[in-house]
Amino acid sequence: MIEVLNGGTRATIQDAGRPGYRHLGIPQSGAADKLCFALANWMAGNRWDAPAIECALGGLHLRFNEPTTIALAGAEMWAQINGQNVKNFSAMRVEKGDILTLSFARDGCRAYIAIAGGLKIAEFMGSASTYLPAEFGGFEGRALRTGDTLAISNRPREAPRKIPQGYTPRLSRHIVLRARSAAEWETLDKPSQRHLFVSPFHASAATDRMGSRLRGDRIKTAKNLSMTSSPLLPGTLQVPPDGQPILMLVDGHCTGGYPRALQIIRADLWLLGQIAPGSQVSFRRCFTEQPPQILQARNSFYGGLIDGFAF
Amino acid sequence: MSIKAPEIRRYGDSAILIDYDVPGYSDRVHTRLNHLAKTLRAQTIWQEVVPSYKSILCVFDLSALSLDDACKKIDDTLKKLSRSPRTKGKVIEIPVVYGGRYGPDMAAIKKSSGLTQSEVIDLHSGQDYRVCMMGFIPGFCFLSEVPKALQHPRYDTPRASVPAGSVGIAGWQTGIYGLDSPGGWQIIGRTPLKLFDKTRENLFLMEAGDTLRFIPSSKALFS
Repeated sequence: MIEVLNGGTRATIQDAGRPGYRHLGIPQSGAADKLCFALANWMAGNRWDAPAIECALGGLHLRFNEPTTIALAGAEMWAQINGQNVKNFSAMRVEKGDILTLSFARDGCRAYIAIAGGLKIAEFMGSASTYLPAEFGGFEGRALRTGDTLAISNRPREAPRKIPQGYTPRLSRHIVLRARSAAEWETLDKPSQRHLFVSPFHASAATDRMGSRLRGDRIKTAKNLSMTSSPLLPGTLQVPPDGQPILMLVDGHCTGGYPRALQIIRADLWLLGQIAPGSQVSFRRCFTEQPPQILQARNSFYGGLIDGFAF
Repeated sequence: MSIKAPEIRRYGDSAILIDYDVPGYSDRVHTRLNHLAKTLRAQTIWQEVVPSYKSILCVFDLSALSLDDACKKIDDTLKKLSRSPRTKGKVIEIPVVYGGRYGPDMAAIKKSSGLTQSEVIDLHSGQDYRVCMMGFIPGFCFLSEVPKALQHPRYDTPRASVPAGSVGIAGWQTGIYGLDSPGGWQIIGRTPLKLFDKTRENLFLMEAGDTLRFIPSSKALFS
C-alpha cells in the first residue's frame, strides 16, 4: 500500500487512456506524456500501459507501507527517498516506511512514478485514467490528496530494468513540435501563417491536461469566420478571435468552435505532456512524406525496447 | 435534389475530415452524415469517428495505413454507401422547466423575439430535434435548428458555471449541458434528467442520430 502524504500541485492516476469515445464527448485522457509513462512502467518491469501516477509540476510526497520496486521518468523533479537524492529515469527498491518526495519540475511538466505490478485501480470505460472534468476514472475521479491510500496490484511483472544509453528523452523548457496543417489553415492571413512557424510562443498559466493557452504574436484569420462546432483532437491548435492560440491536450474538448490551424504530428504528441506554464513552444512545418517516416523510425526505436509500445 | 458530395481533406498526419459544404443546419445532410458515421464506425481501421454538424473526423493509425490509403478507403465507402435509412433513432422525451431560476436568459429571448414566455415555450417545445453531435464535454448534446424567432447569439464572455441539464440556445443551435461547466449559451430552462451519469448502466441518455422532444414541465419536477 502507498500512502499519499502530500498530493502536490496535481497528481492523478493515468494509463494508456480510453480512445474510441470522442463521438460521445469523452476524450481519450491517459498519460499526457505517453513515452515517459511507458518508460517508467518498463523500468519497473511492468507492461508499458499499467496504471501509474502522473505528477504535474511537483510537490508529491508518498510513503510506501510495503517493500516494492518503483521507477521514475519524465520531468526532473529532484526526487529524494528519505532525504537522499535518487536518479530520474531509473528504477529503485523502496522499503517499508520509505518516503519519496518530489520537488518542483525543472525542465518539463510531468513526472511518472510506476510501481512494480502497477496500481490497483478499478477501470471505467476500459481505462484507469482519471478525467477530472467529469470526475471519473483513477482514484475516485479526482487528483490525489493527503491521506489517500493506493493499493498495489499483483500483475505479472519482470525484473526491474535499466534504460540503455540513447533512450532517455531529453526534456527542456523549449518544446519544438512538428505540425501539419489542420482544417482551417487556409483561412489564416498570410502573416499569421508565417508567424506560426517562425515565432516562438509561451505557454501561459492556463496550461493543464485539457490544453495550453499560448502567448505570442497574434494569429488571425483573413476574414471573420463563423464556424459551427466541429471535432478537435489532442494536438490541434485552435485560434480564437483574440489571436492567442490554444493547443489541445489529452483531456481536451472533443469539439470546438474556433478555426483549427495546425495538428501536431503523432510522433510528437507525447511532448505536449511536458509543456509547463512558462515553457517556450515552437512549431515546425512537416511535409507530407515526413510524418510516416518519423513515426516508423520512432516506433521501431522505442517499440524495439518496450514490448507493444507505439506512439 | 441530391446532396453535394463532401470534400475529403487531410487533418494533420493521421486523421481525415469529411466535410459537407452546407450553411447552417440541413436535415438531409444530417441524415446522410449520421448514416456515413455509423458505417465508418463499423470499419475496424478507424480509432475515432467523430460526427459533427457538417463534418466527420476519422482518426487512423498512421503506422498501419497511409494518409493516401485512408483517403481512398473513405472515398470507396462514400461510393458504396447505401441509401440513408429514414430513422429517427431513439425518440427521447426531455421534461424541461422553462424560465425562472432554471432559465435565467428567458428574459433576453423574450425581449429579442418579442414573444411572451408561454409563446417561447410553445415554439421551443413545439418541434422535434435531432441529436447532431455529442461533446464538447461528456453528455452535452448539440441539436438541430431552433425556430428563427428564438435564435440568439451566445454570450461573448462565458458564464463561469452552467448547471448540468441546462437547456441553451446559441445562434441557431440548441443543446443541453451534460455536466456542470463554464458556458456561453443562453439558458432558457433545465431538465432534471442526467445526460451523462457515471453511476448508471447506460452512461449516456442519447447518441448522435436520436430524436429529442422537449416536454414543458412544472417546477415540482425538481423537488
